[in-house]
Amino acid sequence: MGFSFELMVFGSTIAALITMAFLLYYFTADYKRNLLGESASSLTKEQSNLLLTKMRREISFSAFFMDDSKSIGVRYLITSIVLFFIGGLAGIGMRISLWFPNPSFLTPIQYNILLTAHGNIMLYGFAIGMILAFGYYLLPSANKIEKDTLGVVKSIMFWLFLIGSLFIIFSKSTATWYFYYPLVDQLTEAGGGTYSFATLIGVTLILLAVTVSSVIFLKMVFLDRSKSIPLSKISMFSWSIVSTAVLVLTSAPVSMIANGYLIYDLINPIFFQAANGQVLGYAIMFWFWGHPLVYIAILPAFGLIYEMLPKYAGVPIYSYRAGVFSLLLLMIFSAVVWGHHLFNSGLGTIWDLLFSTTSFLVVIPSAMSVFNWIATLWSAKSIKLTVPMLFVLNGIVDFVIGGILGVYLADVGLNAFIHGTYAVTSHFHWIFIGLTAGIGFGAIYILFPTLTGGRTYNVPMAKVHFYLNSVGTIMMSGFWLVGGFAGMPRRVAGYFGIFQTYQDAAAVGGVILGIGFLIFLINFAYSAYLPAKVDVRNPIEDEVQVT
Amino acid sequence: MNKATPIVLLVLVLIAAGASFGWFLISPGGAVSYQQGTYNSSQVIVLYANAQGWNYNSSNPNPTLNEKLHTLLEFKVIEQDGLPHTLTIAAGPNETTDTSNWIVNVPIPTTVGSVTWVNWSFANPGLYTYWCTVHPYTMVGKLYVNGTANSTSNESAVQFSVHDSSNFDVHYQNSVTYETADYNEQVR
Ligand code: HEM
Ligand code: HEM
Ligand SMILES: [Cu+2]
Repeated sequence: MGFSFELMVFGSTIAALITMAFLLYYFTADYKRNLLGESASSLTKEQSNLLLTKMRREISFSAFFMDDSKSIGVRYLITSIVLFFIGGLAGIGMRISLWFPNPSFLTPIQYNILLTAHGNIMLYGFAIGMILAFGYYLLPSANKIEKDTLGVVKSIMFWLFLIGSLFIIFSKSTATWYFYYPLVDQLTEAGGGTYSFATLIGVTLILLAVTVSSVIFLKMVFLDRSKSIPLSKISMFSWSIVSTAVLVLTSAPVSMIANGYLIYDLINPIFFQAANGQVLGYAIMFWFWGHPLVYIAILPAFGLIYEMLPKYAGVPIYSYRAGVFSLLLLMIFSAVVWGHHLFNSGLGTIWDLLFSTTSFLVVIPSAMSVFNWIATLWSAKSIKLTVPMLFVLNGIVDFVIGGILGVYLADVGLNAFIHGTYAVTSHFHWIFIGLTAGIGFGAIYILFPTLTGGRTYNVPMAKVHFYLNSVGTIMMSGFWLVGGFAGMPRRVAGYFGIFQTYQDAAAVGGVILGIGFLIFLINFAYSAYLPAKVDVRNPIEDEVQVT
Repeated sequence: MNKATPIVLLVLVLIAAGASFGWFLISPGGAVSYQQGTYNSSQVIVLYANAQGWNYNSSNPNPTLNEKLHTLLEFKVIEQDGLPHTLTIAAGPNETTDTSNWIVNVPIPTTVGSVTWVNWSFANPGLYTYWCTVHPYTMVGKLYVNGTANSTSNESAVQFSVHDSSNFDVHYQNSVTYETADYNEQVR
């Protein structure tokens, strides 16, 4: 079958190479384990506080050889930015190829490869990588943690994450980000792709990394937090990470198990067989994780908005309690709505209505957060429209649009018409580009002096990046939305000529987005290259006046 | 921060993104593929992508095709039932899951009435199988290529070469805006 001898030799060679590189890394780089040349757990309290608060971590490749939390955060930050551009180029490639109704420069198989790579890299590599980056980077200072322990575990999890991402890139699977059975187990070009199973392995490694990291996050917030911060005063960002971590712990293992079954089914097909009706069983196991995943991708962004907005509005957040309540309620509700992805799969009317109702309920905590932000802005004396603030405001608007679209999608009757159209793609790109990516960039801008050791970014260029990002999202997701309601199918390499207007406008939007991201990169490289001239402190971590 | 770091990062991002993009586009799975033979005439073969058979409405739903060597075979595949299908041709009389034995493998778009042209000219005479990998039991037929190979070709039934995506030529035609299958053809 698909499992040939060469494949096994190939796989074991790669595994051996990776193991060797890993051992080499651990034995040669060991002496650099941490900043002070000692193992972190043997530091005194004063030393480790120094490590965490005074010596701000900058973006540098030496982070890959150091095991303290901040360095791990920097590792994830660098990796997720690289992955973002890999996934983004795939997305823009698809967009451009869809300029003409007939498959143009991408054949259907190539299109499917890009589609799968884009979805998986963006979600597992970029969104999850970004969350882990900010979690590791900001939690120690937000909670003034007293001891920075488990460095080796964090480091190993990072390498698993990186290897997982490489597996996803190398597999060239065409199974889309659902990996539905039996497609994913058909190891042919017209099936899931010859090496489709490698994506499963990669995703499982990343799931393992994020699960273990979630435990570490909970430990940082609840066990390692400085006694000077009572539970009722911990930062909103920490709360958002807490709810994310709990969501991960309750749902990611299910997906890991399902992936394990899929891999077993390659060799001995017994689990997800059509004969015992369990093909739908896989879809259920997938969405049990799949929906929480999309909330995992935005909850930390919510936390960052809660942190950033008051800084530029000049007043504290309108209601801390309502904010915490909303984050925890989001955590609970988003664990019970996964069925809204399976409205057309025959779960049964009662189940459909149940999931439809829970999906509508998610609006309550979401709206609580949005109104909280609006109230904060309302009570502000003057609002400073700096670049990070622009990203925050744009993110809120995009979330409102995308969220309302989600409610439309959650209507069982309407869903039958717009499921599988670009309306769905539009729904989540509003939020992913506006919130996950947008707030990520906003946070990088606000942390810029710290990340680059005292440099400032070029403000006009950053504003251009912002406007391109905002306009690009509106064009791309907006035209997808109109086309989607007209019935434009998603996940196809070609389409009917009547949809060309929407597709072409969206392609322009996609290219605009791409130019914006490139400007961000150039701005970063250029400003960081200039000599350091400002204080390395930043408004999120220290009490500094924002300008 | 080291001055070189941002530049290294920029270059790293560009190289990683470009290299991955290239990797995604080169031949899927990196499999070995077959080389097209020369031809001096062409022949249109109409097939219907329908789960009941390639010629589903006749008494012989999967006809055995007899074609001449040095002929460009233009398969005109008309999507008929809206289900996913592929046109796959392997060297040998039987279907195989071994993709390295596949000569042609083209997914057919699911839009009913759309026409997919798959052009291929065999380099060697012999018995081949054409089928749909989604419906391997109901959509499978045999294809004889008759004639004598040129003296330069290999002993084996087909020649190997490193895959080159220009090897076979695929056109997708969308029925609504471009070409609709003839009414007679659609309702057969
Ligand atoms: C107000 C809350 C939300 C509701 C009620 C909601 C509802 C829905 C529904 C019903 C679908 C299924 C559409 C279909 O396939 O027919 C869907 C898909 C999706 N939603 Fe949401 N959503 C909400 C918020 C979010 C958020 C915050 C994200 C994060 C970005 C998100 C990401 C996604 C993704 C990625 C998909 C598509 C998955 C796929 O088929 O590829 N949603 N949403
Ligand atoms: C650079 C900006 C982006 C562009 C140009 C872009 C473009 C696209 C395109 C063209 C598709 C395929 C639509 C289809 O054929 O169904 C797509 C799908 C998708 N995108 Fe994006 N996207 C971008 C950013 C993002 C981000 C930031 C995320 C997540 C964090 C994301 C997550 C996804 C997912 C999950 C899918 C669905 C994949 C699937 O259906 O299997 N995208 N995107
Ligand atoms: Cu969902």
